[in-house]
Order: sequence, then C-alpha cells, then structure tokens
Amino acid sequence: MSRLRDWLFAPVPLARVAVLRALVFAFVIVDVLLLHTSGWYHGEADPVWYEPLVMGQVLHLPPASVLLVEVLKWGCVVAAALAISGRAPRLLGWVVAVCWIWYQYVAFSYGKVDHDRADFVVALALLPTVGIAHLSDRRLSEAAGFALRAIQLAAVATYFLSAWAKLRFGGLEWVNSATMVRAVVRRGTPWAQWLLEIPWTLHWFQWVLMAAEITAPVIFLLSERWRRRAVAAWFAFHAMTYAAITIAFWPHLVMMLAFLPLEEYADRLRAWWARTRAGRWVGERRLSSGAAPPAASTPASRPGAGVG
Amino acid sequence: MRLRRGGGRTAYPRPMTSGEPDTDVLRLGAGARAWRAGTVVVLTLLFCAGSLVGNDHWWPFSPWRMFATSQAATGSVWSTGIEVRTADHVDTWVPAPLTPENVGLNRAEVEGRIPQIQADPSRLGTLATSHARLRPGAPAWVGLRVVRHKIVVVDREPTGEVETDVLAEWSSP
Repeated sequence: MSRLRDWLFAPVPLARVAVLRALVFAFVIVDVLLLHTSGWYHGEADPVWYEPLVMGQVLHLPPASVLLVEVLKWGCVVAAALAISGRAPRLLGWVVAVCWIWYQYVAFSYGKVDHDRADFVVALALLPTVGIAHLSDRRLSEAAGFALRAIQLAAVATYFLSAWAKLRFGGLEWVNSATMVRAVVRRGTPWAQWLLEIPWTLHWFQWVLMAAEITAPVIFLLSERWRRRAVAAWFAFHAMTYAAITIAFWPHLVMMLAFLPLEEYADRLRAWWARTRAGRWVGERRLSSGAAPPAASTPASRPGAGVG
Repeated sequence: MRLRRGGGRTAYPRPMTSGEPDTDVLRLGAGARAWRAGTVVVLTLLFCAGSLVGNDHWWPFSPWRMFATSQAATGSVWSTGIEVRTADHVDTWVPAPLTPENVGLNRAEVEGRIPQIQADPSRLGTLATSHARLRPGAPAWVGLRVVRHKIVVVDREPTGEVETDVLAEWSSP
C-alpha cells in the first residue's frame, strides 16, 4: 500500500507542472477558437435537436443559445490567456475548467459525443490543485507529482478502456471486421485510398491497435528512456491516423505530454533562444533597461511559491 | 500543503541555477493526500462504470468507443448526406455540406436522429432556418432531403457499387 502511495505521490519539479499548465491553457485557446467549434454552431441550431446528457439533466443545463456559446467560448479564451501567466492558478484554472467542460457539453448534447475528450477534463480539474508553480521552480512537489500521475492515468485509461469498448460494442470479431475500411471509405484522405486496394493493411492494423491499447498500461513499468519511446510511438500512431482519416485526439495528445520531462525541454528551448541573434538582442535590451535576467527568478524571491 | 525538507541541508529554499535540482521536497499533509487519493478512486470508479455499463449520455464518463463498432467484412458502409433545392433552382436537388458551418449540426448528429426525422420530417426545416442564419448571402433552401449512400464492400474491399436511398424529405410550405 505504501508503495502505491509513494507511486501516486512521487514528487516532480514544479516547473514541469508550470510548463504543462501553460501548454494546456494555450491548447484550450486554440481548441475553442479553431479545433472544436461545433459547440459554437449549436448556438444556431434549433433547440428541437437538443438531447440533454446526464450532466445536463442533473445540473439543469439549458439548450445552447448564441449568448451562451459566446460567453463560454470567450470565457475559455480570456481565462486561459490569464491563466498562462501563472497567476491565481486555482481560480483561473477552475474557471477555464468550468467554461471548457460546459462548452464541450454544448457540443455533445446534440446527438454526437466525441469520445476522445473526457481525459482532458481530469487535467483541467486537477492541474489547479498544485497551486503556484513557476517555470524556473525546480523544487520537487508531491502535489505536482500527484497531478501529473492522475493525468497520466487518465491518458492511459483512454487507450485501455477504448480497447475494452471495442470488445464491448464490437465483440471479439472487431479485430477481423471492416471497421477501418469503413473509416477510410467515409473520411479517408486522398493519400489513404491505397489502403483500400490492399485490404490486409487495415485488417492487420486493427490487430496491432487492439494489442497496443490493451497493453498501454505497461508504460508505467518501463524505464524512463523506453517510456519516452512509448510516448513517441503513440504520437506517431496519432499522426498516421490524422494523415489517413483527419481525426486527431488533440486534447489527449496534450495529456500524453505529462509523461515527458517538460522542464528540461523548456530549458533547452530557452538556451537555444538565448543563443539566437534575436534572443541575444532581447537579452541585451532587458539588461540595458535594468530588468533582471530570467535566471534571477528563484523560488526564494516569491514567498509561498509552490505551497498549496 | 505542508513544507517538509527532504534533504535537510538548508532551512530555506535556496536560490538555484537552471538545471540544478533542489533536494527540498514539498510534501503533502495527510488530509491533502487523503482527498487526492479519494478523488482518484472516485474517478476510476466513474470511468470504469461508464465503460462497463454506461453510454454516450454519461459523458465525460461515457465509454471510449471511438471506432468500436464492428463493420461486417462483407456488406455495405453507410454514409448519410443532405440534398437541397434552392430558391434559384427549385426543381433541382443538389448535395449540400452537412456540417456545423452550414446547418449548425454535423453528419453524425443527423445520422443519429433518422427515426425522429422520419417521424416528423418538418424537423428538416430547422436546418434550412439555421442555414439561412449561418449563410445569409446564400440562396434560401426551399426543399431538403436526407439521403443515405450505401457503399458495397466485399471482403473488406469496396466494389465501387453505391446505392442511394432517400430517407426523409421536407419542402417549405
């Protein structure tokens, strides 16, 4: 039991949560403005098409209106833009969570649920629990470790439970069915059409996908190096899927970043930027204007940093 | 959250350079750990229950059923679309995009309501109304019908044969 507890609360640098939070909130802005806009259009749909989900029945949520979708959309954008700054992480984080979840609800309560967006709810709900986390704060935090572990669990559950759903709804014969053929026929890109002429490719792919999804939890047993390779393999799989049928599970892809040492990548990016001509120019301007260089920002200079 | 020292070297978080890990660990108190562990247990139960017995209406705890249905290796793949008659060409049916940008709903949302549409085809008139609001510069729709294309597949390979059925039709009064 204590090993499980240690695993669930394994400390990670606060900077990792800070980077992931910035990416999550940046993604929310891109998502509501560009990637997933069907909720906004439901403001123009007749309420006769509204089909409340359990969440809507419990919370008495109304059908979409133009006013409602505009408030939710711009509420997401403004709150996420402010949250990227790292200020008021709990208040702003949970405002983003409520607006985004409600906006998804509006999108999904007209007869079609996108099945890839549930795990992101976990990220939005739990990332604020870490409290203040600065990009340069390398202190290890159990609260940060817990939030990342929960996000990792939700991301992996997406794979494992989608394999379970295939068995539940498609039966054992799913692996030998023409499900992928159907997907390519309905929404295949021009460069995926050759797959239809060589039917064994899609048939074989179904077996590989089922095996990969069922064994997805193994990622928690892998060494750090192989864990990163597993994440890279999943990203490659999602890129192939997008190329073939233009479906990408965008929020889930952001969740998978929780497996990576994001603060190290951020350091490398900062170092690369500092070496560039533009970076040197900005650095010199900041020094000449009397501003402190970024490296001078430390946890000790911010009372209460990381304490939640 | 309580602050406990893991390294015991310093009583106060010290300044550090980028890339140098600090040995201080910000630990959680028993209460903070308990509610977090409880949250994981509750979420696990809800997600598992959704996958075991739930349906789409349970979102976000609905089953993760992307591409989960079995398509018979030999049979037909259905694809639903709409055709419209416009005020400019009242006698001609032309295909129209069944997209949120065009009618406020997407194809799957209409596909899932075929029985309701067939019971009350006047529902299709709301799509024409939404289209007029979303595309005010386009010719008005005076007729709209839902068509289903059946693409014949034999042994996981499309034969090229396509059958088309009209499922429901609406005309403006």
